[in-house]
Amino acid sequence: MANFILRKAEPKDVSDILRLIKELAKFEEMEDQVILTEKDLLEDGFGDHPFYHCIVAEVPKQQQSADGHVIIGFAMYYFTYDPWIGKLLYLEDFYVMKEYRGFGIGSEILKKLSQTAVRTRCSSMHFIVAEWNKPSIEFYKRRGASDLSLEEGWRLFKIDKQNLLKMTNEE
Amino acid sequence: MENPLHIKDDADLKTLYKKQRNGRRELPLLHKILMELAKYEEMEDQVILTEKDLLEDGFGDHPFYHCVVADVPVEHQKVEGYSVIGFAMYYFTYDPWIGKLLYLEDFYVMREYRGFGIGSEILKTLSDTAVKNRCSSMHFIVAESNKASIDFYKRRGASDLSLQEGWRLFRIDKENLLKMSAEE
Repeated sequence: MANFILRKAEPKDVSDILRLIKELAKFEEMEDQVILTEKDLLEDGFGDHPFYHCIVAEVPKQQQSADGHVIIGFAMYYFTYDPWIGKLLYLEDFYVMKEYRGFGIGSEILKKLSQTAVRTRCSSMHFIVAEWNKPSIEFYKRRGASDLSLEEGWRLFKIDKQNLLKMTNEE
Repeated sequence: MENPLHIKDDADLKTLYKKQRNGRRELPLLHKILMELAKYEEMEDQVILTEKDLLEDGFGDHPFYHCVVADVPVEHQKVEGYSVIGFAMYYFTYDPWIGKLLYLEDFYVMREYRGFGIGSEILKTLSDTAVKNRCSSMHFIVAESNKASIDFYKRRGASDLSLQEGWRLFRIDKENLLKMSAEE
């Protein structure tokens, strides 16, 4: 049984946040695609204008992970804007280390995010899930999530740096 | 048509907005354009945002969005009363693997002004903003039925991440958020 607390991430947490980001990326077999550094996370999350916010899950020392960590889960989110209804909370990343799953930590994190969304007057929470990730899809659907891609046909597009530079140079 | 277009960013938009409001029966500028876009998508009754919201959320201490507007001088107005004839709304998002991204939320040019490269100019301004702010890329969503927009973006190098990587956009609405926040 895991005792845990949830709290806002602090600057000292960036190395744990990066570790968990990489762990989640490894799960998707994309670990080498994480180019973000602790320095980036520090500047981007704890400067004058934070570009993201984090909640971390911490266990007491006696319950630390096999490799000696007490920060065993996190959620990264930020605020987005819908021009018809206003602020939204966007859930970017959400992960609990395998050995700590099944204790309701994920649910607690989601509850805390929901409270944050309501408190900051967000109309809803948005996030993306890979269509093959059935467990996650079920997890969210149980909590009332609806698939906007299915219902409204939305597709996510990207224009990468190379193509952005091409456009800036066009005459 | 010679290009009388002026592309303005946040700072100018706020001034324009103020100028408009100081007039007696002036247009609620950005709000009106948003309403027009909603009408175009047959969704006007879904716009609950007010001018006051837009002002607080975009021009307070912490802006939740930024705007670029395309403005034409009075002599070139094709539709009386509209000097702002196009806009793009964007904000910064964060990818935990690569960092900052520019997210294009809304993008519209009034029908009478299409075909003159205004959309391309706006996109070029946005690209410049993205690069200046050290964003790795620009993200946005497009409805799969909107072939014209999809082609417009693909011509500029856009790739469909939903198709390539299987991403689906989900939403948990306020009702369900309240349910979760109250759970014991």
